[in-house]
Amino acid sequence: MRRTLRLFLPLTVVAASLVTAIMAAPSSFRVRGPLTPEGATAMMQNTAVIAALLAVWMFAAVALTLLSGREIRYSSVEMRASALHCFALGLVAVTSFVLTAVVFSYLIPYHVGVPLLFALGVFAILTKIYGTIAVFHAIGTLVAGSRTREQLAGRKWLRGDLAMVVIGVVILGAIRLIPIAGPIIWALASVFGIGTALATKFGRREPWFLAWRAIES
Amino acid sequence: MTKDDCQRYLEDPEANAAHLRTCAKCNAEAIALAEKADVEPPSLDLDALPLAPWEGSSHRAWPLVLGTAAVVAIVALALLDAAGMSPLHVVEGSLTSMDVLRAQLNRAANSLRSASLGAQVVFGAAFVIVNGLLIALLRRAPRGIDA
Repeated sequence: MRRTLRLFLPLTVVAASLVTAIMAAPSSFRVRGPLTPEGATAMMQNTAVIAALLAVWMFAAVALTLLSGREIRYSSVEMRASALHCFALGLVAVTSFVLTAVVFSYLIPYHVGVPLLFALGVFAILTKIYGTIAVFHAIGTLVAGSRTREQLAGRKWLRGDLAMVVIGVVILGAIRLIPIAGPIIWALASVFGIGTALATKFGRREPWFLAWRAIES
Repeated sequence: MTKDDCQRYLEDPEANAAHLRTCAKCNAEAIALAEKADVEPPSLDLDALPLAPWEGSSHRAWPLVLGTAAVVAIVALALLDAAGMSPLHVVEGSLTSMDVLRAQLNRAANSLRSASLGAQVVFGAAFVIVNGLLIALLRRAPRGIDA
């Protein structure tokens, strides 16, 4: 099993990276000429939409952290403790979501495809939202987290899960506004988040599968 | 001094306490044990330990949270206003992007249906391999420290 994993893991990671890069690449990835009034308007509208979505992310992040801050923190710790595993898992999970969605779409004429596709969509969206908020927490902690107890005791505002999440949203949101690089970095953060959400089972610290063991006589 | 006497002392030191006066080896061991028992445990400097993730995590910095959220919301509304858009446009745009995604999925499914048997088998194999790998990766226990 381990030998099989050694062979397939790099291959799948490469394939999944290609799929993610194709999906994440901006559709208008080309060298642009001088900025026209129409181009400026489009850029302004694009920035406004991104800012509005960031505001929505901010409210979602605050709400989820208030509801389950411990789980978010555990996922954030896991992301920092084993980043490569989370990223590999995220890449494989995104590829799996895409392939499974195609298979479920294939099954739509047989009537079972629609509920399955709906369930997959809901699960994927929830995973992405939870994982991205865990990424916000991890970024906030990396950038503004306390390193020592004295530092923590001396801080009035920059402490606690809620503050870390808000700092993370602001930092990643500012990066998201950068043309071309922003969407790619945001997509990579989403991949990290999906991997972390699945690796920690949404911060619940439970195994996904029960291990079978023979009863010892 | 016989080994049996030493054994009897080891089995019940209090009843055979007189043995220590006649056996140098057991006496030395008893003194060493007594010295060890008197040693105080090394003092633990809590401040020298690394900061745990849960320390101070329950603190809620409401001024920071509310202030930042308000600033982000105001900036977003101002940008939307400057671009001549309403928040409804953003919702419509999100729904449109979902429609685009659904159309792409339908196109991919139709392509799969009309593809050759070989291509369908390759797709099926890729589906099984990727999901098998996903399950294998999900079996690994999380490594994060206690949160």
